[in-house]
Amino acid sequence: MSAEKIKICEDLYDIMPPEYQDIVENATYGKEGRGWKDIGESKELIEQHSLCAGCPESIAFRYILASLPAPEDTVFVGSTGCTSLVFPMVAVHNIHSLFGNQNAIATGLKRALMVRHPDKVKDVVVLAGDGATVDIGLDMTMQSWFRQEKFTTICFDNELYANTGGQESGLMQKGFVSKMAPVGKLFDKVRLPEIAREAGCHYVVMMTSSKPNRVEKAIRNAVHVAREIGPTYIQIYTPCILEIGKQSMEGLDEMKDSEGIGGRFTYKEYVTDAAAALIKEMDDAEKAAKKAAREKAKAAAKA
Amino acid sequence: MDLYKVSPGPESFLPPAAAKMGNVLPDPGQGHIGGTIVPEEEAMEMAARKFLEGKVPTIFPGPLVLWHWNEKAAKKAKAIRALADAGPFRLIPMADYRPKYPKINPEVEINPNHPNLTIWHNEIDVCIFVGVHCHQANLSLKIIRGGTDCYTMAMCAQAGHEDACLSFRDATVEKIERLTWWVNKLKAEGVKSQAKEFTQFKHIPKWREAEGN
Amino acid sequence: MNKKVIPEDRKIISSTHVKIGQKNQKDQVHTEPNEFFYGVERITKFFTGSEVIQSAIKVSHCDVMVAYPITPQSEAAALIGELFADGYIGDYFRGESEFAVMGQCAGAAFGGARVFTTTAGPGTLRAMENFPMWAGSRLPIQVCVTCRGVNSPLSIQPDTLEMSYLLETGMLIWHAETAQDLYDFILKGFIVAEQPDVHVPIAVCCDGFFVTHTKDTVDILPDDVCLPPYDPYKSPVPCMDMECPPVRMMRDPFIMKSNYIHYATHASWQQEIHAAVERSRKHTIPFLDGLIDIENGDRDILIIGSGTAVSQSREAIRLLELEGIKVGLIKIKTIRPFPHEEVREALKNAKTVFVPEFNIVGWLAREIKAIVPDNDKIIAGPHVAGGMTMPSEVIVVEVKTALGLNVEKIKM
Ligand SMILES: Cc1ncc(C[n+]2csc(CCOP(=O)(O)OP(=O)(O)O)c2C)c(N)n1
Ligand code: SF4
Ligand SMILES: [Mg+2]
Repeated sequence: MSAEKIKICEDLYDIMPPEYQDIVENATYGKEGRGWKDIGESKELIEQHSLCAGCPESIAFRYILASLPAPEDTVFVGSTGCTSLVFPMVAVHNIHSLFGNQNAIATGLKRALMVRHPDKVKDVVVLAGDGATVDIGLDMTMQSWFRQEKFTTICFDNELYANTGGQESGLMQKGFVSKMAPVGKLFDKVRLPEIAREAGCHYVVMMTSSKPNRVEKAIRNAVHVAREIGPTYIQIYTPCILEIGKQSMEGLDEMKDSEGIGGRFTYKEYVTDAAAALIKEMDDAEKAAKKAAREKAKAAAKA
Repeated sequence: MDLYKVSPGPESFLPPAAAKMGNVLPDPGQGHIGGTIVPEEEAMEMAARKFLEGKVPTIFPGPLVLWHWNEKAAKKAKAIRALADAGPFRLIPMADYRPKYPKINPEVEINPNHPNLTIWHNEIDVCIFVGVHCHQANLSLKIIRGGTDCYTMAMCAQAGHEDACLSFRDATVEKIERLTWWVNKLKAEGVKSQAKEFTQFKHIPKWREAEGN
Repeated sequence: MNKKVIPEDRKIISSTHVKIGQKNQKDQVHTEPNEFFYGVERITKFFTGSEVIQSAIKVSHCDVMVAYPITPQSEAAALIGELFADGYIGDYFRGESEFAVMGQCAGAAFGGARVFTTTAGPGTLRAMENFPMWAGSRLPIQVCVTCRGVNSPLSIQPDTLEMSYLLETGMLIWHAETAQDLYDFILKGFIVAEQPDVHVPIAVCCDGFFVTHTKDTVDILPDDVCLPPYDPYKSPVPCMDMECPPVRMMRDPFIMKSNYIHYATHASWQQEIHAAVERSRKHTIPFLDGLIDIENGDRDILIIGSGTAVSQSREAIRLLELEGIKVGLIKIKTIRPFPHEEVREALKNAKTVFVPEFNIVGWLAREIKAIVPDNDKIIAGPHVAGGMTMPSEVIVVEVKTALGLNVEKIKM
């Protein structure tokens, strides 16, 4: 939707709930170079949600929504899980249908949007839990990569099935004792980033949501690469503080602890040559724009 | 099968969908009152009369007319405002359809997942839906009929609503204006609005005031 | 009931579309549905059922088709691929399983596309979780189900058991008897399912092989016309393309009592889906010339059925007539919505009613028995299953035995 379409009818403006007046006036739809720094300065695309207090999923959501290149033309696809409690509050069209079928939905959606709006760019972004992405939905996750479907897949990896109360998932660490893994998980954490690379993803990142600028960069890259080249995959550690017995303020430390050298979530990325070229082009353009802006400011200061 | 009368509730713990009871939607040029098919003009006159007779007559505009997503929507919004002013009738928007956490403000909005809260809180005895997506309008109409005594009406841009106590279809700008015309005509004939005094919720944000809008 | 819907004028009051009269990417003129079905002159062809499906899709202005091989629909699904190669369809691909395919169809429909797919037997059951999801999400997707056996051991052969699994999904279910039915049902199915007041998925079912793999004469439309496009902005729920309000919109959030909502929200949602199925009657009755067909309905003995069981019954009735036994025939075209009133009325004066079926459980007989007051006159049978044919003689024997007449044992 062009940002101009996100507008309230004048004649009913004054009766609209203030939250919507705010979103029209102060959100960053259509803004060039939007990013995590807009948080606090502008109206975010997410309202109050009912995740557990301090759940790192919420901060990851906020960074991601702030970093989308074009939220006014982005449609999200979710899956059953804790993320479903956030999606009703997200001011971008989004779909929940079944548990685990998110990459199938996104495939059909992206293709329909290309057929219906051939002259517009419509970004499709999947955001689902690890159970949805790796266990019940792995088939559809991977097949969409094989087929080179042009959308981004984001996995909120909390290493268990949170929404159903903390059962074992494929992304759980080996040895972890949980519901349905009463003697500890018997096999290794599934190496989905490597699988993604081999399955045809052009840009793969494994990270935590501890550093907003990293999340921003990864989202920008992933969405653009998916738009121009082919599938991309981002796996973000969003620890389920409830099920691993942490306090609400301990999420950040948990993420930081896990991303050190040799940790389960040490930052890593796999980028194909085509994607690397595109990212370089974007980086160069960004730098040039910044430089131009600086020079303009300098010139203005002189004059 | 006998006619299933669609009347104000509270009807039952879970009232049936009127379509399941055999009620068929009106054809173009028709409306229905309580399930009985009538000419559209008759439904409009009755709608105007019901609204004037109401103590808290309220219009529930939905996303399709609140948002300026095309020019037609803006024209409908204008027509709806004129209708509200003709009463005057109260306006409470159904701005979206999400289950809202932690709660809604029933003075400011109505929500299809618990529309009864807004009806009860404001003691709304007659209402009309316009610009609400049909599925969500039907959910609301049924829940309201189930648990409240509000007389429900629906001005539908598509095929109409059997779950309302009164409905007409293909609601264009002209038809919304026609309803306003009926309100004015009845008033001119001496029908007095029974509406209690109310304060319309309005919010003009600071930045707008500054712009002088 | 507030008014009777009658088939007389054979007209559908469908929502209009701005593109009517304009040409699509293949120079086919988008034609108003009544004109399309009753005005345009047809061409007679001798086609297999698979070719019939392809011909229908050719003039349907379909946006997305997702395919997956399973006998007996594979040929039709592949033929539609040829249409895509020729530019008639917006997009077409092979999914990885029926579960995924139905998800892909849903994704495309959420995005505002007219969507078609086909499946059969194990494919229908593999996909099952999707069907109530489609209905709950008000997605007017069309799936053509070419019925075959579902249970182990595997059989690719005709059997209508799978239809019984679809009955309570909230979809429209139509059952084609012939190639001609199949052609018309597919095209009319799009229009009815997409009406804003209906807007639920539709399964157009036919009996595998008997319809898909035999040749029959069919009157089809010329290639220079097609259906009007689907208009997702008239949908009873917002289209997920970021082109329409509200902008803060999830399809479809959990509505559970625990989420601060009314205790009856989910129940009301379910009721609304079934109400939508009911509303389809108003469009279907004129369009299909009634939900049932009646031949000699005033006779004491009636046979009632759907699909190719009707064709076999028609021949059985001819054979019985040679022996002086007069039997009437009732053909049910829509299984959902079920023609309760029509069937009750049609069976009112009958003394004995037979329900022949191509499945072992007799689900159609069960449906009929549930709505007829004097249902001890309903004889559920004959039944065949697992690919058996239903020779007309079997129906003759069933009727004569029930009447206490002498019958010669059939030797096979
Ligand atoms: C077909 C099906 N199987 C099982 C479930 C139950 N279920 C709902 S959410 C969930 C776990 C979600 O785990 P994950 O994807 O990791 O998301 P999280 O809640 O951890 O964020 C399960 C098993 C379901 N809804 N549907
Ligand atoms: S259960 Fe875990 S993942 Fe879900 S909201 Fe709570 S902390 Fe977050
Ligand atoms: Mg998880």
